[in-house]
Amino acid sequence: MAKQKNYGMVIDTRVCVGCSACVYACKSENSVPDGYCRDWVIQETNGTFPKLRMENRSERCQHCANAPCVTYCPTGASHYAEDGTVQINRSRCTGCKACIAACPYDARYVHPKGFVDKCSLCKHRTEQGLETACVSVCPTKSLNLVDLNEHEGTAQQMMNGKEVYRQKEHAGTNPSLYWISASNKPGA
Amino acid sequence: MTSTTTEIISTKVNPGVIPHLHIWEWHIPLYLFLGGIAGGLLVITSIMIVLKRRFGIGPQDEGDGCPCLAVRIGSILSPALLGIGMIFLFLDLANKFYVWAFYTTIQPTSPMSAGSWILLAFFPLAILQAMLVNKKFLRGLNIPIVSKLIDWTEDHLTIVALLNAHIGVGIGIYTGILLSFFSARPLWASSILGMLFLVSGISSAAALMLLFAPDREKPVYSMIDANAIWIELVVVGLFVLGGITGPANSSGAMMHLIAGDTQMAGMSYMLWFWGIFVALGLVIPLLLEFLEAAGVHIRFPQVAPVLVLIGGLVLRFLIVFAGQTYHTFM
Amino acid sequence: MNMSHGQDFSRRDFIKISSLFLAGSAAMSTQIGRTFNGSGDALAATGEERVVHSICEHCFWRCGIAAHVRDGKIYKITGSEHHPLSNGRLCPRGTGGIGQIYDPDRLAHPLIRERKGGTTTYRKASWDEAITLTAEKLYQIKEKYGPEAIAMMHHGYGYTFFKQMFHAFGVNKFAKPSYDFCCGPRHQGYILTYGHSAGTPEGIDIQNSRYVIFFGTHYGENMHNTAVQEIAEGIRRGLKIVVFDPRFSTLAGKAEKWLPIKAGTDIAMMQALMHVLISENLYDKEFVEENTVGFNELWDEVREMTPEKAATITDIPADDIRDIARNFARYAPAAAVHPGRRTQWYADGTQRVRAIAILNALVGNYKMPGGVVKYQKYNIAKPDAHPHPHFEKEIWSKYPLFTDIKPENTIASHEIIQQTLQDEIKAWFVYGVNVPETVTMGRKTAIEAMNKVEFLVAVDTLPMEVTGYADVVLPECTYLERYDDLDAGRPYRTPFVALRQPVVEPMFDSKPGNEIARMMAEKLDLHGVFPDSVETYLDNRLKKEGSSLEEVKKTGVLLGKPTDLYRKPGEKLKFKTPSGKIELASSKMKDAGFDAVPKYVAQDEAPNGYYRILTGRKPMLTFGRTANNRFLGDLPTAKENEIWVNPDIASQHRLEHGEYVHLKNQAGVVSEFPIKVKVTERIRKDAVYMVHGFGHYFKKLNHAYARGASHNELISKSEIDTTVGAVGFQNNFVTFIKEA
Repeated sequence: MAKQKNYGMVIDTRVCVGCSACVYACKSENSVPDGYCRDWVIQETNGTFPKLRMENRSERCQHCANAPCVTYCPTGASHYAEDGTVQINRSRCTGCKACIAACPYDARYVHPKGFVDKCSLCKHRTEQGLETACVSVCPTKSLNLVDLNEHEGTAQQMMNGKEVYRQKEHAGTNPSLYWISASNKPGA
Repeated sequence: MTSTTTEIISTKVNPGVIPHLHIWEWHIPLYLFLGGIAGGLLVITSIMIVLKRRFGIGPQDEGDGCPCLAVRIGSILSPALLGIGMIFLFLDLANKFYVWAFYTTIQPTSPMSAGSWILLAFFPLAILQAMLVNKKFLRGLNIPIVSKLIDWTEDHLTIVALLNAHIGVGIGIYTGILLSFFSARPLWASSILGMLFLVSGISSAAALMLLFAPDREKPVYSMIDANAIWIELVVVGLFVLGGITGPANSSGAMMHLIAGDTQMAGMSYMLWFWGIFVALGLVIPLLLEFLEAAGVHIRFPQVAPVLVLIGGLVLRFLIVFAGQTYHTFM
Repeated sequence: MNMSHGQDFSRRDFIKISSLFLAGSAAMSTQIGRTFNGSGDALAATGEERVVHSICEHCFWRCGIAAHVRDGKIYKITGSEHHPLSNGRLCPRGTGGIGQIYDPDRLAHPLIRERKGGTTTYRKASWDEAITLTAEKLYQIKEKYGPEAIAMMHHGYGYTFFKQMFHAFGVNKFAKPSYDFCCGPRHQGYILTYGHSAGTPEGIDIQNSRYVIFFGTHYGENMHNTAVQEIAEGIRRGLKIVVFDPRFSTLAGKAEKWLPIKAGTDIAMMQALMHVLISENLYDKEFVEENTVGFNELWDEVREMTPEKAATITDIPADDIRDIARNFARYAPAAAVHPGRRTQWYADGTQRVRAIAILNALVGNYKMPGGVVKYQKYNIAKPDAHPHPHFEKEIWSKYPLFTDIKPENTIASHEIIQQTLQDEIKAWFVYGVNVPETVTMGRKTAIEAMNKVEFLVAVDTLPMEVTGYADVVLPECTYLERYDDLDAGRPYRTPFVALRQPVVEPMFDSKPGNEIARMMAEKLDLHGVFPDSVETYLDNRLKKEGSSLEEVKKTGVLLGKPTDLYRKPGEKLKFKTPSGKIELASSKMKDAGFDAVPKYVAQDEAPNGYYRILTGRKPMLTFGRTANNRFLGDLPTAKENEIWVNPDIASQHRLEHGEYVHLKNQAGVVSEFPIKVKVTERIRKDAVYMVHGFGHYFKKLNHAYARGASHNELISKSEIDTTVGAVGFQNNFVTFIKEA
């Protein structure tokens, strides 16, 4: 039997230029309505002229292992999928929006059709052995789809010896997205 | 260290989420308000029933086991108001056709799932109480099934009321817990919010009863109201203190509420909180009721309870809105 | 307010195309627009998916794309895995093709300008009518004034068929504005020094480099796919980046060191770097002796430019200059100075690129891993040329070093403007160039010329401003609905030929350029210019390469063999320069009467209270080409341009972050539309920055209209680089006018 997958992402902010191709790729892949987004790009600059530093990063649902949205969902519409991702069953979603309030990452929104929507980590693609739309378009390969269950796998190799962080870890969400910090020295 | 600036450019857009949460508008505060009053009414009426039947305390009842008028009306209003509140709750659902999904599962970790079942459990007993306290009137209608139901259960009114006192407390607290489970929203993530909404629900319920109680019953509700307001003031104090002495998330959120210049209906949160909720909704009615109890003639005795009700409503709006307009747990 | 567009001119009123002639009101309007409004659901769709491999047209890079079609509609565009320039990846603009093809503002029918009573309007015309009129007019003008009275301005890859048609007609006056203010100086500067162009993608082996210095080039904001991919790969492998830029660009954000150089002083900095390399004996002596000429002349020129002197000019501390020169030498030959892209900022663009080429030559990084390399093009056989009448001149430009290779263009676009104003040019054929908003001496001059020209034909997909001045508007279908000529113009690690092929049928009454050109040729009695069909033409060309159209349609590319980029030990290098060596001192420059070695010349200083306008782009937009693209424009970062202002300057002018102001330039031109102020630490105090391509004034561009301010509108002063004829426009300055 194939080993259970546990999908996550390693996002290398050292190379991300914030071009937003991931956002557009997601929009067309997943028919995200105009004015909405499942993923987004942040360009953060700190310091004062001329001592400035910048980090660009693509963000989305963190597919937490301990997801407050799943905890809070009254109907089980938000649930853990067998591949380690957090998914929404549209035909059980009442649109109560509790999951939106519960998400510390503001990753969800109410789709104009009523159900709550968010990044699915392109489950319809990963099921076919494809990478997510955002990962497959990313010109800098900043975005990487990884299987966190893979021992000493790609994820580990990518992150070894580098400054890596997860967002709001102290929220206890155990998120599946890892960021390689832009403050790493070249070639770290 | 030299001063440093942070510039963030984001492509994120999602209506109702960006620039800040705006998923819940008037429906939810109104539901929480009505739910609070429903819980409060159930607590007060059921305790009044128990006190009267067990200990003979309270206004004179109307004979044949029917309690005083305010309790009779209050018992009816409790499920009625909650029912109306639930209509608002339903109206708030973005995917209304799927409302049935609440009742095909029990999600043990979801307060909303628990709540949706508690709400169902609430109605039979609350309605039963409303029927029993109004049995004289109902029997007069000559509906066999209703009369039969009353016949079967009338001896157990005390037990029904005792259970309802607990359910009422549960509903009151639940309206606060619903929000305080959201650890992602620092203002709501306070365990005292349940207590605050319960006490506020009771004070609002007492105020409401004060409005429709006949004069001879008024002093009881005035006393309940005054005491509830006292306790509420203490709980509000604890809520505020707990916030501002807390870590950055909580204190920031609390300051956003009590000193924030974010506007709600053209007025800052700070003014709403101190001016409307605390001063107008708690302190002034407390003073008025104190004066009235001390024998000072108050020209418009309705003012105090109306202010309490306004305060209760404003509290729900403030908490729901300020909790949304502050950023997530950082 | 000073309205600087054509409303003041009477000869050729700017007329607004009635929305009746746009796609939005065409019969198919219900079908378009739905594609990206989310009502379609990719997950729910059951239709078969069809994938067509073609090439992008959102910028000149021309990456390979894979267009995915369901139910007859393109629902997404991804990077072609077969095409060497995309490697399966795509920039945001490329994904935005669906916003272009399904733009409801698209031109739907041919239009003819008509005067009735006192008013001028457009009327819908049949293709035959429009082509007949165009052919007649061009014929008359050629008969009356000679073929030199007709000029074509072009931008975009579909122009080739029109060029063939015009050649057969005897016309060879072609201009490509992008050559004049973007790639021309770099092209020529490199050729003058190395004998070959810097190339697109630029011949810098970035991914293997240890140290790359950029002068004001904005990769990351310029999403040139392959270059950005290589920079990212370089960073992963440990590349150190140094960026000289008055603005903290995204690339500066990747840099080990950002040096906020004073704008206009790059050559002084480059000379100082050369000074350190030479005076500290850090340069590759052996390489320089063997492969270059003019070293002594170079040293004579840079001898005086000490880091201390350069520090006073450039605002960069002398120690930093020394450090960078030493590091550059230390990491060489796996180190390079990047030639940049749009390099024409002042009148010295060609010399500036020469200075970059010289810096590279001094460290001997030529054909070394991580250094300067020469990527190879696929050497495809030329199509059989149709005989054409004798051209009076092969090159029309008056500038002596305009071009050194067989050109896509024979004259600078500003020369067309000037010759028009001097009554020498009577007819314009404009293919994909939005003249008023394209930097050919600013908007005002461009409009004056358009008012003067006797006959103007515009071929476009959208009602860009230029179409409002045209006599005939020919609606071309987009790049997703047509064949174009084979693309063998891009050199890279693996040489290739790429195919543009239709993904879906042309929408509305639009036609592919190849068909429009054929119709015109037929109408002009020029038979046999084109084979019976474009498919035959492409197939013939591909058959000569041992392939076929059918074959290449599958992947969209025909690949050559990966080339060897690096020199072998002891390999003798040859350069196609007059001396056969790298020309540190250029003999051609000298012969033409210019400085043989790049000299630093101080630029204009801003008047008090004014700030130099710097410009660039947003990663998801390509100026005018994407301005009306609703799919790309949907992101909040793409909706408008901002004017970047240093916090100290903002407080001097009492500007609040996020407020809207009008801009006024040194000549008193006030921007028609207000622009949002971005108060930021990311820019020097003596400059402001705004993205080009916003502030469109044509209301029929429903999305683009009045979004942000136009950069071109604020250009009142252009300077010509008299070597190549390139046009620079960075000596324009603005101040702020607060909203009343």
